[in-house]
Amino acid sequence: MELSLLPPDVADAHRDFPAALAACSDLDALMRLKGAFVGREASHASRLMELLKAAPKEAKRELGAAINALKNQWEEALKARQAELEQARQRLAALANAWDPELPPPVPPQGALHPLTRLMDRMVDVFRPLGYHVEEGPEAETESHNFDGLNIPQDHPARGSADTFYLKGEEGLLLRTHTSPVQVRVLRRIGQRGPDGVSELERAGGIRFLAPGRVYRKDEIDPTHSPMFHQVEGMIVGKGIGMHHLKGTLAYAMKALFGPGAEVRFRPSYFPFVEPGAEMDVRCPLCGGSGCRVCKGSGWVELLGAGLLHPNILTMAGIDPEVWSGFAFGMGVERTAMMVSQTPDLRLFFENDQRFLRTMGGLD
Amino acid sequence: MLIEINALRNELPALTGTAPAALSELLAGLGFPVDGVETSGASTVLEVDVTANRGDAQSHRGLARDLAAKLGADLSPVPVRPLAEGEPLVPILLEAGAAAPFYSTAVLDLGAEGSTPEQVRSFLAAMGSAAKGLPAVDASNELLHRYGHPTHAFDADLVQGGITVRWARDGETMVTLDGVERRFTSKDLLITDDSGPIGMAGLMGGDGTKVSAGTRRVLLESAWFEPRTIRAMAHRHGLHTDASLRFGRGADPGFAKVARDLLAQRLHDWAGARLQSAWSVGSLPAVTATVTLPWVLLDRVAGYKVEHAEAEAFLRRLGCSVAERGTGLAVRPPTWRHDLTIPDDLAEEVLRLKGYEAIPAALPPLDADPVPLAPDYLKRRKLASRLANLGFLQTVTLGFVDPNEAKEGHGPGDSQDLRTLCNPLGEDYSLMRGTLLRDLGRVARMNLERGAREVRLFEIAPVFEAHPGQPLRETWTLGLVWAGESGGEDPLVPPRKLGEPEGQSFLIGILHALGIGEAAIRGFKRWQLPPWEGGAKEPTGWQFELPLAEIPLETGRIIPRFTPFSRFPVVERDLSLLVDLGQGYGPLREAVAAALAATPLQDLRCVDVFRHKNLPQGRQAWLLRLRFQAADRTLTGEEVDGWMELALAAAKSLGCELRG
Repeated sequence: MELSLLPPDVADAHRDFPAALAACSDLDALMRLKGAFVGREASHASRLMELLKAAPKEAKRELGAAINALKNQWEEALKARQAELEQARQRLAALANAWDPELPPPVPPQGALHPLTRLMDRMVDVFRPLGYHVEEGPEAETESHNFDGLNIPQDHPARGSADTFYLKGEEGLLLRTHTSPVQVRVLRRIGQRGPDGVSELERAGGIRFLAPGRVYRKDEIDPTHSPMFHQVEGMIVGKGIGMHHLKGTLAYAMKALFGPGAEVRFRPSYFPFVEPGAEMDVRCPLCGGSGCRVCKGSGWVELLGAGLLHPNILTMAGIDPEVWSGFAFGMGVERTAMMVSQTPDLRLFFENDQRFLRTMGGLD
Repeated sequence: MLIEINALRNELPALTGTAPAALSELLAGLGFPVDGVETSGASTVLEVDVTANRGDAQSHRGLARDLAAKLGADLSPVPVRPLAEGEPLVPILLEAGAAAPFYSTAVLDLGAEGSTPEQVRSFLAAMGSAAKGLPAVDASNELLHRYGHPTHAFDADLVQGGITVRWARDGETMVTLDGVERRFTSKDLLITDDSGPIGMAGLMGGDGTKVSAGTRRVLLESAWFEPRTIRAMAHRHGLHTDASLRFGRGADPGFAKVARDLLAQRLHDWAGARLQSAWSVGSLPAVTATVTLPWVLLDRVAGYKVEHAEAEAFLRRLGCSVAERGTGLAVRPPTWRHDLTIPDDLAEEVLRLKGYEAIPAALPPLDADPVPLAPDYLKRRKLASRLANLGFLQTVTLGFVDPNEAKEGHGPGDSQDLRTLCNPLGEDYSLMRGTLLRDLGRVARMNLERGAREVRLFEIAPVFEAHPGQPLRETWTLGLVWAGESGGEDPLVPPRKLGEPEGQSFLIGILHALGIGEAAIRGFKRWQLPPWEGGAKEPTGWQFELPLAEIPLETGRIIPRFTPFSRFPVVERDLSLLVDLGQGYGPLREAVAAALAATPLQDLRCVDVFRHKNLPQGRQAWLLRLRFQAADRTLTGEEVDGWMELALAAAKSLGCELRG
């Protein structure tokens, strides 16, 4: 149908129809447009139908066909646009239900064991296969357990109030200065004879255990000292125990703790409760042996003290040193932790900043 | 102890050419680890760690002796010309018995002023003690570092009358060489003259009789004092000197006269001193006795068969007299080795000289029954691990608290006094804690102040409780704190301020996860973290504390006995109630549960609390969820409707209403 034959407003509308169609961004707009063009009433199509009614009879056939063609053209275009918009709506609905898995997920909070706990636990785990169990004792101890039973002389400076904390509650009650009083407690227990005249030691044929725990010394707090720290003590009592057993046990443990490449040295030393005495050093982890401030130029860092149980220790607990022998060793947990981790300041372990605990601690 | 390498080589020429590093290894192998090496010019000084039992090794000569024995090399002879002893010029009385059994002395006229040789000056400088320029003082000092035997020189013209070595009288005083006035008790051993104290035996001389540039005559002292007496004095007076260190660990009585002779000789050589007389009083103490070393003990200690001839040779090289005695050796240690008293000591000497590297490594056979880990220990480990897995960080705190801040945490009847330290580091560290909450609260706050958004911490440690007449009680305790703001860090979990009253439920949830029952939880100490000045305005979190004994232990069967569970459907119904604001949840839950005791009620819980101004005043809305399930059949709607009526009636009996 020639546009010039259309009423001017319909002609305008028809010319603008593609743009109006494209401008419909949703189905509602499209329905409104549809009503305006092909609706039953007051639409462009209905206007044209009225035009047709009024047309001369001979022109009706041709005009009718032209109007229908125009109407079909509009309807086709509307239908196509409708399909398009429906598709778009479905796509949005699908997206609205989707979730980008790269959005931050709720992460269960990460906790951690304290690094000192981890090291002590690891010690226990390393010694379990050798048959060691765990023995414990109180932190508030008697002089008898902390000093006397360990062959520490009455006038030893460590007993003084400059080195050891004493409690007001009871004469001679102190905060244990090492985990060694656990040795004394265990020795006295297993050395005691029951009503049948047999001691726990004789019945069991020996004992081997670790004693991890908190200990106290009267040191001011500074980068390398703390009035509270941790030790892990180990002890074995059996028959025919010698230095070779101590050396073999420590060599195994150090490799298990520090890796097969750990270079250690076993050398003589002295503690009142062992004879012979020994210490184990490890190659300085910072300089590898060439000498630095950590190892004070010596290339070695002291790791633990050890030795065969002094016969007096056994005798005092009622155990015959002619029959029984054993060894003991003690390791400073903080010292080892600092060395292994190269933590520069001991106070970090007790300050408990969550950033330290998170990075230095962990789960086992 | 400081060792100058050239001076050490003087004593043991075999060390010439041994580099400091090799020497350090040698010394460490003998039990004297080197803690530091300092080289300046031609002089290298080692800082050697000498253990407390080795009084004899506190000198160049002492270490050289051990090194000589190790290397099988010869020591240089001590260049001494023994003095002929003569008449006493001054009476010397020993009145302290075994504490001071022997005193040797000499009186010399000093000739020209004299001076300390340059070589000795630099040796003393290397020992960290500058030469005084007074030959008598410098020579005494040099001898101490070189040979280990302390000596002293008095200005003989200032000594009044005779010398008596005796116990002090209470209240006696004297100014020591360091200018400090010392007050004595009857436990102090003194050198005195007719005027009173002129020296603290084995520690330090008196200022009144000291040698000075004007001194013309000296009286030398080279004695032996009993170690325990000297240690106690040094400790009591806080006066630890080079002399007290050596006497306190046991000097060699056999060297007393030699040291005097060496000192006199130096005064002669350096200052032209002429001997007036030298003499000794008392007798040398027997500090060593014969010890038997059975071969069987040596072999057991060593863990290998030690060659008898080699063991014997090592002990001889250490200066012991050794005799074969059937199954072992009879060994008499030399006068400087008072530490060798039992067979094990001798075994150690053999191993030490042979080198600990010769000891084979072996694991002891498992000849006793293994013992399982104690339940309490295991529980702590599992608990710590569990809490770490629940997102909590483990803390370790020192355990000392300030009594002025630590009012919390007392059990009934606890006496704070009894867990107070006699000698704390300071008042704020003077009390052994009765609660972990103080320390946890402090740590939580510190972390918040440092910018932590959320704080989740736990500590497992003993807390102390003291009751008069009872032993101090240590209770292993778990402390937990959860503070700050939780959630809000991702699109799915909304933020929650933990300091709000409902914040405690988060921690209670953790306690539930640990298997702790509601009744127990009510009894635990809890504490809302208070706001603080310059920080948060509102409470920031909650903490709980509970004895470990209250936490159920997973023991018994590895897998529990099987309990059947129903395979019939669960019917879930909600009951929306209007409840008084003051209504407790516990009583309501119990009332409803009691009303439904005869029904197959499986679960009853409040799943929503709604408080709003549009609700009737004084009321809140609680949504209860009930779950029913029978073991043997499918439930019908009618019977569940009936039970819900029972539930509502029970709620109404407490004043609740159905919310429309």
